[in-house]
Amino acid sequence: MTTGIKRTGSLSNFADRQFHWLALAPACIFLVLLTVYPVLELIAMATSTITFERAREIWRFTPVENFRQLLDDDIFRIALKNTVVFALVSVVIEVCFGIGLAILVSSAGKAKAILRTILIIPILMPPVAIGSMWKLMYSLDFGVLNQAITLIGLPAVNWLGSTSLALLSVVIVDVWHWTPFVFLILLAAVEAIPNDVIEAARIDGASNRSIVFRIIIPLIWPTIVVALFFRTILAFKVFDQIFLLTSGGPGTSTEVVSLHLHKVYFQQNDLGFGSMLSLAVIAATVAFIWVAYRAGRFVRARDA
Amino acid sequence: MKLKALALLLAAGTVIAWAHQAIAEDSFLDVGEQEPITILINASPWYKGFENVVALYEEQTGNKVDLEVTPFDGMLEKARSAVHAGDTSPYDLVNINGTSTVEFYKGGFLEPLNEIDPQFQVPKEVYSFGDSGCWDEAKEFRTCSTGKLMGYSPNGNVQLFYYRADVLKEKGLEVPVTFDDVLTNCKVLQNPPETYGYLQRGEKGDSIYYDFMAYLLSYGGSIEKDAATGDYTVTVNSPEVKAALDKFIEVSRSCGPQNFASLGQGDLIQLMQTGKGQQAHAVVAAFPNFDDPQKSAVVGKINAAVLPKAKADGEPGVAIGNWVLAVPKNVSDDGKKGAIAFSKWFLTYKAQYAYAEGGGIPVREDVFISDLKDKPQFRWMPAYQQEIKYGKQLLGYSEGPAVNQALGLRLNQALIGELSSAAALNQAARDIEAIFKKGGRKTGQIAPLAE
Repeated sequence: MTTGIKRTGSLSNFADRQFHWLALAPACIFLVLLTVYPVLELIAMATSTITFERAREIWRFTPVENFRQLLDDDIFRIALKNTVVFALVSVVIEVCFGIGLAILVSSAGKAKAILRTILIIPILMPPVAIGSMWKLMYSLDFGVLNQAITLIGLPAVNWLGSTSLALLSVVIVDVWHWTPFVFLILLAAVEAIPNDVIEAARIDGASNRSIVFRIIIPLIWPTIVVALFFRTILAFKVFDQIFLLTSGGPGTSTEVVSLHLHKVYFQQNDLGFGSMLSLAVIAATVAFIWVAYRAGRFVRARDA
Repeated sequence: MKLKALALLLAAGTVIAWAHQAIAEDSFLDVGEQEPITILINASPWYKGFENVVALYEEQTGNKVDLEVTPFDGMLEKARSAVHAGDTSPYDLVNINGTSTVEFYKGGFLEPLNEIDPQFQVPKEVYSFGDSGCWDEAKEFRTCSTGKLMGYSPNGNVQLFYYRADVLKEKGLEVPVTFDDVLTNCKVLQNPPETYGYLQRGEKGDSIYYDFMAYLLSYGGSIEKDAATGDYTVTVNSPEVKAALDKFIEVSRSCGPQNFASLGQGDLIQLMQTGKGQQAHAVVAAFPNFDDPQKSAVVGKINAAVLPKAKADGEPGVAIGNWVLAVPKNVSDDGKKGAIAFSKWFLTYKAQYAYAEGGGIPVREDVFISDLKDKPQFRWMPAYQQEIKYGKQLLGYSEGPAVNQALGLRLNQALIGELSSAAALNQAARDIEAIFKKGGRKTGQIAPLAE
């Protein structure tokens, strides 16, 4: 009898001790199924050549060939350079505009609600609609931008057909599309700053400029880093707008890694090399974020 | 007496044959009751005609057909997903772009039509479009002489030369026969941004690849030596192709709009519809857009002719850009039967006639020589019929999409001046040779062009 009670007690103790594992198990299983397994599958594909015969997949293990193809792929190198330039320029502009808008709107009084609603419209629009709309606006002969430019006597601008302007034109669309996202995140951070802090600074004679650069920005810096982090990842994956606006052209001027990957993976049906490119994109994104993070820490350490 | 009887017999025979023909032409094929089928079809400019003819099929036969209408860019992925699905394909007929057919044939994802119905055959009046619907597994090549029938074309696009008939007449210009004639006309017609002398697509990718083929083929160039016999020696950097590319660039730069290197199909059609484009070459399926009063300011003013050539006594460069309707292997038996029934009906003269009337591009020769060709809205038909005999099916191998992209990039780089024409073609040759090598082909290169 005593033994029975002891045994029941120890079982109960064991269950209590291990309950956190039991509680975590469903989440872990989902994580493995939804995240780890696809990544492992991607690695397996990246190291293989996959062909189809008699309605079946045939896998050959060819990691060296796929990696060599990646090294020899001059379009990938150009696409990577374009992606870094695109991400750097667009994210920096978006964050600057986002900060500015967040500060302006937070001090807009009664108009705040309406301004916030209007400003977030671009992120509510589907990317296909955005691409089509801007393609029309950029049209050489019929676009509203060129209509306005020619109205004041200037020559029409070849927004999407010029190698020197095409990437900038795509950056403009990205800034228009994603600045509201950054603005929304930063607006919440700006509004969370206690009024006392700002008022105290004003009583101490701080100018508006000082309040922005010495109080608001340092206080919302962690949120800015989060916004930078999100936007950088998304900018590295840019696809829709470039696909719709320029298809990577003219030449290689707007070729980005996602577009190149799409061509290899979906149009050429080269699943192995396409997966190798995917891994390279992941590696490049992580490297870019790591460099940005280290640079940010270095700057903050120097300023401290 | 005997002679009279023989004459009577002959006359009776002729009447019966004529009546048979008339009945055949007058009545729609009875395909019996079928299970509903679903067709994956692209939302291309000729889609309206297909939709109309499917509605007619439903009305005539009482059989139900669902259309899964998909933009061009989504077609390949939808078709792949359908045939790769472990269970039953959601589509009983899938429309596959000609360039991608080899992937499906080689992968074994499609059911040869005669394995569903041994009696099924494509009527002899239907254009074969370079045998793109047949597959010889041993040769790994599309040929009907030794291959199996895998599908048929619901649409056979070729490019035609379009011109503003009223403007050419007013300015006393002739319809150009050669590309040099195009340039001569262009000198009179080019007045940007009001009017453009000649429009052709320069957009990177398939657009420039396909539009350049009109030059490459006419100048006697080729991409590879002889894929049909397994010789994949790359010939795209030959002097003939360079001459073709130089002419293409000259025409684009001197006769097109400022954005000639990013001009796509939508832009080209828009420029023609608004009256800015004076001459152009574009796919035949674009024609109905020029006569659509809802969209066009030049209804009835654009005529079609055979594509300009390298030399007056030469041949036009006609690259076929067709689609192939095929039955996935993983379709239910009832679905396969329904797909064959629809196909038999669709390829009849009567259905093809209705297809053309509804805005489609028919695939039967007898429709092109019917009374339709004399109607104003079908004034493109004689040019199409003249051209189709020169039609060539290109990139008929599994590396086709990769070659298409390699060329689409290098040609565009030459057009914008990023590379010289010789450097672009030499680079294209290296790219294509690498693609063929990866595919295990017998390949090589000709002597490079001087850069």
